Amino acid sequence: MSSDNFYVGWQDDMPPSTKKFIKKLLLFIGLITVSIVVLIVVFQKPFNNHVFEFGNTTELTGVYIAKPYPMLQLTHNSAALNSESVLLVGFGKFGAESIMQDIENEEGSLDLNEITLAGTLIYGDGVALLELTNKAQSYVSRSGNFRQPLVIDKNSELITLTGEILDPKCYFGVMKPGEGKIHKSCAIRCLSGGIPPVFRVQDDNANTFRYYLLSGKDGAYINQELLPLVGQVVTLQGIPYSHLDWTLLEIDPKLNTLISGKNE
Amino acid sequence: MGVNYKAVQWNRQKKNYDVVLWMIIGGIVLLFSSLQLVIHPEITAETLIIRTSALTAFVLLHLILMIGPLARLDTRFLPLLYNRRHLGVSMFLIALIHGAFSIIQFHALGDVNPIVSVFTSNPNYQSISEFPFQILGFIALLILFLMAATSHDFWLKNLSPEIWKGLHMGVYLAYGLVIAHVATGALQYENHPVYWGILFVGFTAVATLHIFASIKENKVLTALKTNAVNEGFVEVLNVESIPISGAKAVFIHNQNIAIFRYLNRISAVHNVCKHQMGPLGEGEIVDGCITCPWHGYQYIPENGRAPEPFIEKLHTYSVKVIDGKVWVNPTPKPEGTYVEPAILEQQ
Ligand code: HEM
Ligand code: FES
Repeated sequence: MSSDNFYVGWQDDMPPSTKKFIKKLLLFIGLITVSIVVLIVVFQKPFNNHVFEFGNTTELTGVYIAKPYPMLQLTHNSAALNSESVLLVGFGKFGAESIMQDIENEEGSLDLNEITLAGTLIYGDGVALLELTNKAQSYVSRSGNFRQPLVIDKNSELITLTGEILDPKCYFGVMKPGEGKIHKSCAIRCLSGGIPPVFRVQDDNANTFRYYLLSGKDGAYINQELLPLVGQVVTLQGIPYSHLDWTLLEIDPKLNTLISGKNE
Repeated sequence: MGVNYKAVQWNRQKKNYDVVLWMIIGGIVLLFSSLQLVIHPEITAETLIIRTSALTAFVLLHLILMIGPLARLDTRFLPLLYNRRHLGVSMFLIALIHGAFSIIQFHALGDVNPIVSVFTSNPNYQSISEFPFQILGFIALLILFLMAATSHDFWLKNLSPEIWKGLHMGVYLAYGLVIAHVATGALQYENHPVYWGILFVGFTAVATLHIFASIKENKVLTALKTNAVNEGFVEVLNVESIPISGAKAVFIHNQNIAIFRYLNRISAVHNVCKHQMGPLGEGEIVDGCITCPWHGYQYIPENGRAPEPFIEKLHTYSVKVIDGKVWVNPTPKPEGTYVEPAILEQQ
């Protein structure tokens, strides 16, 4: 008595005309969905090829440099890395200071001493980092060799650069993308936890980047002041100087930071 | 009559519905992740999970929102509406995977509680391009959670259909929040015009369908403004305009009334189903019962009562037919009151 195409859910079968319609409809939904999925993947920004050797522990030997950020100046070449030094970072969203402090509490001061550390390598674009987990798993040994303090030549002029403040742990391999708006909150957490801030500046007319480690005057810790500027395009003024294979940029976050309006 | 009447429980159509639904979900997940691995092999597992679940939930949310107006505009879409609840709960679970993984990835193992960090890490509330977009997703997820948690008919009964319906209108708020979440979040980084195009087309499709459906509804309702009135009866429409075994809905004196034509009779009941307030006037007579287009609840036309053992009751209205015109008394009778149907002369 009901018309042929009235659908009642609890009946065992749909009316044939409805069934035909629903089949066509599902095909249509399927086609649209497939096109959307393909478009999204095809037009997605490519990821960088940075590496996080998750689950793989590497031992590195080098001179421990504590200031302004914990680093190891490698004394034995490591096959995977083409850098002179590795930046040390902690587990999760923390810097390496507290782990190194724990180790030094037991081993005495290690600054400028040759030591061997174990951790997980993070590397890309000529930069390498080592993630330490805790005192017991990270400290291997000291050799007894040590070096003289680095000579720092800070005669340079003030320079102005535009780029993005990143956390190097995520950017150089742990997360993709480890930059920009999507990653902003995470970069804020990482810097807040003591991971050294890195300033990425794109070279003129090229898709290559220069990286600067940021600190305050004489290596002062300025991470908290930088948090509002992370993950967007900013212009900074600072005094650059060489530090191992890095360039450090000493900035005064209160005076010399200009936020530029444009996004990318 | 009432033998094959079942409340909304497990049945064959529902199983089919869920099979098709999970085939669509599985298809999106499989296609999206394998294309990612082929075109962007550097992708991390976390990003793959976050993006796959985001896209799947987003597509399902659009489907959910389009089904309502589509079914209003063309009854052939009704099968999609029948088990929309499972569509909604599935969408919530997938969005939950996205939200949970995002919170772990971007906020866990830090110096602040991850949930607190969602709200405090990015304080740029005054900016659009730098807006803390994750908060928008978080609130949307909370709304979707409330809806999924109260989706069972148990809550429908306990909260009353009106409150339940109001709560479930929250899906529009959640949708708006999700659109803003995507526009101020992912699309500030993945800013290819194709992405903005997809977002725009999706939003426009949802909005346009809702506008068309409401225009259609308003046409039905406003068509009857100046009617003849006689002894409390109002002239509403021609008998011929009511489909056989079907109904027409009219809105007079603030009453939403469905007028049914079946065998050679006319009966009128309140146009709002006791289940989820479905439009009974868009239903039909099946096995002698008014049958709701949404989930098939049934009512006897003369007294508005669901057949035994069910207990739902509708308001009924007095009707008469004069010279091929239906007249209805818009004063509702108490729910479940028997009203003598108007008998049509044999043509
Ligand atoms: C706790 C709640 C949520 C959080 C923390 C969150 C976080 C995020 C993050 C970080 C992204 C960028 C990820 C990336 O592109 O790599 C994102 C993108 C996205 N989110 Fe959410 N979200 C939440 C809830 C939701 C909800 C409820 C939906 C609704 C379906 C949703 C839909 C999307 C979509 C469609 C994208 C863009 C997908 C893409 O980038 O490929 N999110 N979300
Ligand atoms: S049967 Fe669900 S609304 Fe009528």
